[in-house]
Amino acid sequence: MNNKPSLWKQTMNKVRTWARMNSIGAIHFNSGSCNGCDIEILATLTPRYDVERFGIKLHGSPRHADVLLVTGPVTRQARERLIRTYEQMPEPKFVISVGACSISGGVFDGCYNVGGSVDEVIPVDVFVPGCPPRPEAIIDGIIQLLGQLQGGAPRPVAKPKMTGEVSS
Amino acid sequence: MSTEQKLQTAEQLLAPWNKETIRPEENRLDVVIQPEALHEAASALHEAKWGYLSAITGMDMGVEAGQLEALYHFCNGPAITSLRVRLPRAGAVVPTIADIIPPATFFEREIKEMFGIKVDGLAVTDHLFLPEDWPPDVYPQRVDFTIEQAKAMEVSHADQMPEPGRVGENTFVVPIGPQHPALKEPGHFSFTVDGEIVTAAKMRLGYAHRGIEKATESRSWVENLYLFERVCGICSHTHAMAFSMGVEQLAKVEVPARAQAIRELVAGLERVHSHLLWLGVTAHEAGFDTLFMYSWRDRETVMNLLEQITGNRVNYSANVLGGVKCEIGDEQSKAIKEGLTYLETRIRHYLEVVTTDAMFLNRTRGIGTITAPEAERFGLLGPTARASGVARDVRIEAPYGAYVRYPVSLVTETNGDLEARCVVRLKELLVSCFAMRSILDNMPEGPLTARMPRKIPAGETVARVEAPRGELFYYIKSNGGEIPVRVHVRTPSLCNWVSVLEKAVGRQLADVPMLIAGMDPCFSCNDRVVTVEDSRTSENWSWKRLREYGIEYYSR
Repeated sequence: MNNKPSLWKQTMNKVRTWARMNSIGAIHFNSGSCNGCDIEILATLTPRYDVERFGIKLHGSPRHADVLLVTGPVTRQARERLIRTYEQMPEPKFVISVGACSISGGVFDGCYNVGGSVDEVIPVDVFVPGCPPRPEAIIDGIIQLLGQLQGGAPRPVAKPKMTGEVSS
Repeated sequence: MSTEQKLQTAEQLLAPWNKETIRPEENRLDVVIQPEALHEAASALHEAKWGYLSAITGMDMGVEAGQLEALYHFCNGPAITSLRVRLPRAGAVVPTIADIIPPATFFEREIKEMFGIKVDGLAVTDHLFLPEDWPPDVYPQRVDFTIEQAKAMEVSHADQMPEPGRVGENTFVVPIGPQHPALKEPGHFSFTVDGEIVTAAKMRLGYAHRGIEKATESRSWVENLYLFERVCGICSHTHAMAFSMGVEQLAKVEVPARAQAIRELVAGLERVHSHLLWLGVTAHEAGFDTLFMYSWRDRETVMNLLEQITGNRVNYSANVLGGVKCEIGDEQSKAIKEGLTYLETRIRHYLEVVTTDAMFLNRTRGIGTITAPEAERFGLLGPTARASGVARDVRIEAPYGAYVRYPVSLVTETNGDLEARCVVRLKELLVSCFAMRSILDNMPEGPLTARMPRKIPAGETVARVEAPRGELFYYIKSNGGEIPVRVHVRTPSLCNWVSVLEKAVGRQLADVPMLIAGMDPCFSCNDRVVTVEDSRTSENWSWKRLREYGIEYYSR
């Protein structure tokens, strides 16, 4: 008996990937950000940038979403909520961490109520750096995720190495 | 009445309790009083209608001094009177003044949580912005609290969420947030509803509390400028401007006129971006997505201008200590004027939409009405207060920077409902556009920055700036070093929350998102917690019984 999926399963997987790529449902979670990234995420939805042309739509409930957009360093109080929101999402789920502070704590690194980066709490697929990242950068992050999806199962990307580290 | 006369009046009012008078700056009066006399002294100022309570700053004078201080800042135009209460480090107690000045609740809870100053008679004892599982008797703003201590702290994540669907006698609790489609920012609300009518409102913030004030005490003056810019991404310029104004006052550095003009110009553009953003979000909450998309499309015009001037769309970093770092040349000036012409037509159009569109008016007219006396009592600020006819605008009351040379006119409305808040904000934009044009036409020549010392002379100062949401209050203290001793930030959203919670009670649940949006809240700015009324005793209802009750309610 070989482990190769049946033709039916293969076909269904193709259909699923095609459907998923053309109708990404996203939700946005602010885990303690300064609002800068959040308004840029909203700006990507509005006429100038208009991510709906890629079939991406912001949903209200994590249960309807494929992609979680997380902004901000994870504060002590938001941590549990972030995990809960992530767990409520149906499989397969993907996480895009938007903004410098969601990647490394950014300017808030060392604040007493900040836990650290998003990838210490939940697995992250794409990192979008910037303070805040421009809407184009956020769109690029989503497109990278789509590229991963097209190639089959998404692989978590290694966290970008901080070069030229700023002395504290 | 001049500032000096105002301060003299205050001194006379406070004479019976006055232990020591300090004049830290020309427009400020510090009166040292005993903690027991605080209530009487505050009510003397309040009853004489001497300004309004703007903020309460807590301070830790150090372990050796063994002293804490609480400063009650009252602002009256440019004049500021601070009641300074000195307290022992162990067992510090002050009486509450929230019974005479309701907005003091938030400030008192802040000093209680951050400094461990016990407030006698405070009704609510929940956490304000620290997590529920924060250990007792650990006060993060005290000098002996270190970040290492926080890192070692176990987080048990035990904070309680209200059970969804828990019901009382005739009520149902609807939890909203922190992740919710109607809220773009994290906040948790629980509304107790009787049918569709809200009977009690409760709110828990602190999801975006990062501990910025503590972090400033370990960073240099310049580093802090960029940290404060990230208190809030929407009004980042005003935060940085307030901080640099304060530091410049301490260093006694005169900012060049051109730099001040550019600061006002960027602040004006920021106001346009912030209010158009707000208009879109409010329209979205009302189910009017067309207006949301249009206003955000037009907002891109101003984002382009900000990017052209400063190089970034959000968090522009236009300020440096002692001036600005971006120049407005002929090219930029022309681009701004063209942008303003377009924006002005659009803003006039939106003004027409929000006052004539029948569907939108159904959601705004007569909803969440706050009368002028109520606005005064709640201590509302910014456009929310001005919509109720309260003339409260720092740019006019106490002109700072370039507002002396390029004044703006006051915009007020009298109705105090959501429609009035829309109208005030849009009219304010037209005023801002006019002011920006006059700056561009009469731009003073000169350098962009003045030289700033690396070490800022010892002293303390207050900087007040009118942010898009209302008065922003910065208290800065230096001991002559390279880092500040204490910076206290009081943001306008904090003072405006009462308007939502008080006004939600008795309204339909569907109006709640509009009420929240109506004050233009900024969660990352304030992040604190409030309770107005508690739900009644709980018992469990089945969905069937609830449904039957709903049918019965509506057939009444």
